[in-house]
Amino acid sequence: MTTAKTSPSDAAPAGADTGQPLLQVSDLVKSFPVRGKGIIPRTVGQVQAVAGISFDLRAGETLGLVGESGCGKSTTGRAILQLHRPTSGSVRFEGRELVGRTARQLRSVRRDMQIVFQDPYASLNPRWTVNSVVREPLEIHHSSWGDKRIQAKVNNLLELVGLNPEHRNRFPHEFSGGQRQRIGIARALALEPKLLVLDEPVSALDVSVQAGVVNLLEELQQRLNLAYLFVAHDLSIVRHISHRIAVMYLGKIVEIGTRDEVYGRATHPYTQALLSAAPLPDPKAERERQRIVLTGDVPSPVNPPSGCRFRTRCWKAQDICATEEPKLEARGEDGHLSACHFPEVRSRES
Amino acid sequence: MTTTAGDLLTVDNLTVEFPTDDGVVRAVRGVSFTLRQGEVLGVVGESGSGKSVSSMAVMGLLPRSARIGGSIRFRDTEIVGLGQRQLEKLRGNDIAMIFQDPMTSLNPVYTVGWQLSEAYRAHHRVSKKVAWAKAVEALELVGIPQPDRRAAQFPHEFSGGMRQRVVIAMAIINDPTLIIADEPTTALDVTVQAQVLETLLRIRDETSAAIMIITHDLGVVAGMADRVQVMYGGTVVESGQVDAVFEQPRMPYTVGLLGSIPHPDLLGKRLTPIKGAPPSLMNLPPGCAFAPRCPLAGPECDEAEPELVPVGVSGHTSRCLKWDELGGDDDSRELFEHDEIGAVENPASLTQADPELAVVEDVAEVEQRMAREEGSNP
Repeated sequence: MTTAKTSPSDAAPAGADTGQPLLQVSDLVKSFPVRGKGIIPRTVGQVQAVAGISFDLRAGETLGLVGESGCGKSTTGRAILQLHRPTSGSVRFEGRELVGRTARQLRSVRRDMQIVFQDPYASLNPRWTVNSVVREPLEIHHSSWGDKRIQAKVNNLLELVGLNPEHRNRFPHEFSGGQRQRIGIARALALEPKLLVLDEPVSALDVSVQAGVVNLLEELQQRLNLAYLFVAHDLSIVRHISHRIAVMYLGKIVEIGTRDEVYGRATHPYTQALLSAAPLPDPKAERERQRIVLTGDVPSPVNPPSGCRFRTRCWKAQDICATEEPKLEARGEDGHLSACHFPEVRSRES
Repeated sequence: MTTTAGDLLTVDNLTVEFPTDDGVVRAVRGVSFTLRQGEVLGVVGESGSGKSVSSMAVMGLLPRSARIGGSIRFRDTEIVGLGQRQLEKLRGNDIAMIFQDPMTSLNPVYTVGWQLSEAYRAHHRVSKKVAWAKAVEALELVGIPQPDRRAAQFPHEFSGGMRQRVVIAMAIINDPTLIIADEPTTALDVTVQAQVLETLLRIRDETSAAIMIITHDLGVVAGMADRVQVMYGGTVVESGQVDAVFEQPRMPYTVGLLGSIPHPDLLGKRLTPIKGAPPSLMNLPPGCAFAPRCPLAGPECDEAEPELVPVGVSGHTSRCLKWDELGGDDDSRELFEHDEIGAVENPASLTQADPELAVVEDVAEVEQRMAREEGSNP
């Protein structure tokens, strides 16, 4: 499609209206039990994989969720879809509360929220043809449609994601990684959802193939006014696709704002360190740039540090950071949300 | 290729083939390069481009079934055809390797210090005590805090980044002159990746070892390497100084690769992916391996594989007949613009590349055919 530039603009996304957000997450907590050793393992503690996060997502908008492994970004995506039942907090989709609903009650909502998984090799049943993979959700949710209509829809979907419908009777192993990811996207789109959770959708793909899937996602968003929750660790891809970005560290959002606010005027030290650590494919910029190298590793979420969770690796940490947890609130000049006692825009090149 | 003084490693026309039941997989074809002391060479390519296999050949780690041709000279020693005994003297002593996965390259049942001192004692006749001291010293060099205490711990007590440092410590404990790092940071997070890369560069500065870093991340190469070598379909398609290759790529594949990575300058623009998929190494096209995906390809590209020709100053070479049509950044990116949606990717090309791959037939078609056959000979 040569017509429009498909990249997100900085202005409000196409589908954003002033009404209610599509998805409202507030104080979402998901903890997993830690079991001890022995024949009958007893629960000896709790890991808070997601420790109280809140954000909104509007139709047609992409929220990028970034962070290092183990920060709880995938768990967040799954807790929103109720694949992991949240421990507490609230997830409202189009105003309806999802937390605490039974599986039966959730069924009608599931139609509107779908997920695309990271590994296109593991997320497709190798013994099913592409046709059956994409057909299954339609058969479950639109059993009244009749075979012809369902098949026509399947063909449409395959074409939509750039696959030849004539190849629908092939098995997943006959497709390359990028094509398999397209099959996964076609399956997720089958029920015309309003929200797609994309859990590292391109990280298993080769560089030259990633770009094709990213373009496809952007184009589908424009056409279908989809909302994306884009979970990824690759900062350059997130920057390319997202309207707004949330940075997570140890189960908490440390900074959230529009793309330019987070990438251009980050105020949280962790965001700054993360951005400065990501290598750029540009030798000149690489040589000039001042890299913040963090010391140490991410602490264990079983026993997170008191106060600010980032303080153990932070170069700005002072006494207040250990005693008082900084709230996620408007700080700095442009007023995007950041959870740091000493917010400051780093003066630097790019 | 002539060997000049200061060349540490000279690889000349290296080929690696694996005979399999389905045919010969030509994993590496005609790869030549040199590596000087203290130099960092970045090798980039997608999966299946032969980048790991060529480094395994340098280490003499390929399985016995592999057929290796050409020559690999390390200083004055020819590595191809060397016996295991002689290889063992080189491996771990003069040439060391860092693998991708720090979880599997350490032995879980021995302490880190024990494993490090074993590596040292394999090449030096010293007492265990001296070797242990050397192990602690190596851990300190890679920036592990409290090295004396950490040496007595087991690998599971280390985090991913720390484990990768232990692997680096093991690689440098015998002061190698060449370190081969195969995707050393792919399993790590970005902040930890920055630490590990910094450690590698510091070690290069302190020991003036040459580093060959194999990665698929062009960002890592841009930040670390002096020279870069782009591989595709088992052979080198472009090589040169990092700045030259990134600024003025002279091979359409490199252009496509750079254009498909999101970059701050490309915000608001479409990414330009490369059409199609990498070729099967079993059944390569007769001409340029990239021709089927190349927007510049013409009939002459299918005739014979182009030679690696010099295309600029300071050893910039490219394996492309039309390299002079490439140059400016923006025009090159426009090359790869093509319709994405609606442009149907053809999975049939996969089965063409590999005729053994089963093709699924429509059940109805098969039934019809069987009915016809039964009808014709009752």
